[in-house]
Amino acid sequence: MKEKKERTLWNDGAKTVAASLLSILMGVVFGGLLLLLAALLLNNIPLSSAWEGFRIVLGGIFNTGRDYDRGSAITFGFNARLLGDMLFRGTPLIMTGLSVALAYKTGLFNIGAPGQYLMGTAASLMVALGMDTSVVPAPLVWLLAFCAAILAGALWGCIPGLFKAHLNVNEVITSIMTNWIAANLVTMLFDGSRFINNVDYGKTGYCLKTSSNGVATAKLGLDFGGSSANAGILIAVAFAVVTYVVINKTVFGYELRSCGSNKNAARYAGMNEKRNIVLSMAIAGGLSAAGAALYFLQGDVEFYWHTSMSLPATGFNGIPVALLASCSPIGCVFSGLFMAYLTISGSQLSNLTAYNEYIADIIVAVIVYLSAFTLFFKSLMDRKKAGKAGTPKSEPAPAAPAAETVGKEAQP
Amino acid sequence: MAENYVVEMLNITKVFPGIVANDNITLQLRRGEIHALLGENGAGKSTLMSVLFGLYQPEKGEIHMDGKRVDIRNPNDANALHIGMVHQHFKLVECFTVLDNIILGVEPNKLGFLQKKEARKKVVELSERYGLMVDPDALVEDITVGMQQRTEILKMLYRENEILIFDEPTAVLTPQEIHELMQIMKNLAAEGKSILFITHKLNEIMEVSDRCSVLRKGKYIGTVDIKDTTKEELSRMMVGRDVKFAVDKSPAQPGEAVLKVRGLTVPSKSHHNNAVKDVSFEVRRGEIVCIAGIDGNGQTEFVYALSGLEKASGGSIELCGKDVSRATIRQRSQAGMSHIPEDRHKHGLVLDFSLEDNLVLQRYMDAPYQKGGFIQREPIRAYAEELIEKFDIRSGQGPVTRVRSMSGGNQQKAIIAREVDLNADLLVAVQPTRGLDVGAIEYIHSQIVAQRDLGKAVLLVSLELDEVMNLSDRILVMYEGEIVGELDPKTTTVEELGLYMAGAKRNTGRKEAAAS
Repeated sequence: MKEKKERTLWNDGAKTVAASLLSILMGVVFGGLLLLLAALLLNNIPLSSAWEGFRIVLGGIFNTGRDYDRGSAITFGFNARLLGDMLFRGTPLIMTGLSVALAYKTGLFNIGAPGQYLMGTAASLMVALGMDTSVVPAPLVWLLAFCAAILAGALWGCIPGLFKAHLNVNEVITSIMTNWIAANLVTMLFDGSRFINNVDYGKTGYCLKTSSNGVATAKLGLDFGGSSANAGILIAVAFAVVTYVVINKTVFGYELRSCGSNKNAARYAGMNEKRNIVLSMAIAGGLSAAGAALYFLQGDVEFYWHTSMSLPATGFNGIPVALLASCSPIGCVFSGLFMAYLTISGSQLSNLTAYNEYIADIIVAVIVYLSAFTLFFKSLMDRKKAGKAGTPKSEPAPAAPAAETVGKEAQP
Repeated sequence: MAENYVVEMLNITKVFPGIVANDNITLQLRRGEIHALLGENGAGKSTLMSVLFGLYQPEKGEIHMDGKRVDIRNPNDANALHIGMVHQHFKLVECFTVLDNIILGVEPNKLGFLQKKEARKKVVELSERYGLMVDPDALVEDITVGMQQRTEILKMLYRENEILIFDEPTAVLTPQEIHELMQIMKNLAAEGKSILFITHKLNEIMEVSDRCSVLRKGKYIGTVDIKDTTKEELSRMMVGRDVKFAVDKSPAQPGEAVLKVRGLTVPSKSHHNNAVKDVSFEVRRGEIVCIAGIDGNGQTEFVYALSGLEKASGGSIELCGKDVSRATIRQRSQAGMSHIPEDRHKHGLVLDFSLEDNLVLQRYMDAPYQKGGFIQREPIRAYAEELIEKFDIRSGQGPVTRVRSMSGGNQQKAIIAREVDLNADLLVAVQPTRGLDVGAIEYIHSQIVAQRDLGKAVLLVSLELDEVMNLSDRILVMYEGEIVGELDPKTTTVEELGLYMAGAKRNTGRKEAAAS
């Protein structure tokens, strides 16, 4: 019996991985078709670019640019710098993914991640730039900036949480509103601040880099040929592990999952579901904001704060990161890095070929979109098996419906 | 073929992970008969019917209709073969009229324009022919459950179905409506329709069926002619042993009061009146007090206020000498209240959790199930295995089974195991046997009596008259939010109880005595 159970579990896991790979492959193939279509329709893109583009998308971070000694052919191989950049770009995506995943476990849809991320950005930059490093040691400033970001994000997350818990206002609506409040608030704060970058001529709305104040995340040897990578990725992975442990192994996580899965039963069992909703949103906000801090405290990143531009894509991208990972915290590490991988493939595409960044973005979006078909492919596999074995068609999940429950789960 | 069978399901085997739902089952339905399919919860009745209706494909076995083999891959195939099904939970569009629901999917039209006139004529004709009285223009959300069921039956007739499957049709009906349904089923059979009737209520089978096939734990036990059998024999076939219909219990020996309710008043959510009005009573150690009444007379609101799910607007609740009127749900449970809720899916279980996680739902915060804020898997598993053993909870994969996949009876056993094992001074059981078969009912009743004999106070809220009469030591009748009478089950009759429940009689003298 036990052996059988394990085999079923393994089959299930293997199927999930296979379905994920299949959907990613579909995405890449479809992206290739789009490349071909663009090359055929647009005059400025030669047909040969389509093939090059397809290889760049396929090769991702493993391309080493053009070799001008060999007729400017695109070459592939290990590219430490791109790998490092992927780790760096992936760091905030992992964090926003964790944010969305954690809230989802409590039955909440945290579309407020961009606003929380933005509040984290503002708080971390203000502390990192505002504290004089000749008085306070720079590592301490870094730590304070990081903590300030988490606090700001937690505050921003707990507002929709409070509304949801006490007034039963849908968190999606309040989150979207707090997003825009954050966007305007941050713009206003920076417009009136003394952190405006006047060093580089001709730029407006840019913030100083934190390295100008000597604050930057430690590299800890994670240099990767001069890439932006730093210890932030380690912190993000640590957060993922901690989130996993909290959700799956602690009493608090048990309560969160109970509230998310059946609010009424959780309440009936004496859990304080209001407190759990608020806490879950606050922690989610803290995670998003920590992602922002890990990104901007790198030291050499510029923050551009114009309102209409300032709801950060990294925040929204937390949603696909979490969903690609089926809201598993550990999975968020991989899906976050995968998103970063695609982003870098996209920028390589616009750097090395005639495709512009917009086409590159569309390709990336298509791949992400099709990757979300994982569940669909998985149910397709189940169904195919069902054709032979006779598992119910209406039930994609390979559960074990004991005879009588089928079709009458909602007893009055 | 010697006999004229309209449907034959031959040697059907259907396997789900961890469980054989149907093991080599053969079922033969004659034309124009009412054929009951009897079995406990989890015996495989619904699975078998789902196979016939095309929802599942069997691993082994064949289905024949009129002697010819047929292949039913989905409900559309079943429809084409004139097989119709009334599900236990109706599949109706609430905001549509009865007529719209009946023609849904087979709308008569000319060039895409609805032709409701003909449809209405046909529906009215059908409802008159079979005595299915229902207003075709009423919205489904406005009509009673009984009428909704008639709408479902009309849906099958409108589609000219010859084989009608009724999946536990009486579970949701009042006694009056059940009586009407029985008559309708007889009319249908008389007109040549063949009926498969899934149930675990023996009285109904005896009243209406011609033959009955019995399943037990996925296996076929046998088919009997109803005129040659008795209730006792059927229940023995179903459960595999003799079942006692009366509850075996000694006279109550009440001790001191555990629960004292004084003037409890609860506002209603649906109207301006109070749902519970000035209710006062006591429950003592070693007795089972039952609140009887027709559904919707304030019992649900009363229990919500008692357990702390909703706030009362007046009165007090005293539990084991402590005033808990303002206490939270957790505080009340710690003060000595355990609670088997009315709605096991809404309040009782987290369906997507494992069985073990559900079994510790009231205990996860106590040692040894947690240490330093961390859930301790080993003690939880051991505790779950202990309860599963002790309360005979059956599931596909033991402690890690997803509760959603368990049968209703075993889900209820899990709740009872969890609540009884809390060892609280007061056990509140609301409709603890709703939708369960006789075997499970017998078991749950014996558990409740055992709790009483251990010196616990038991407050039972039930709509089933048999349960009220059999189980309780004292009956309080609730009518329109008030306790209108206190009765002794030993000296009262079902008829008298019925008069109190209908509000035709009250003994206010005793009520005041209890309140003072």
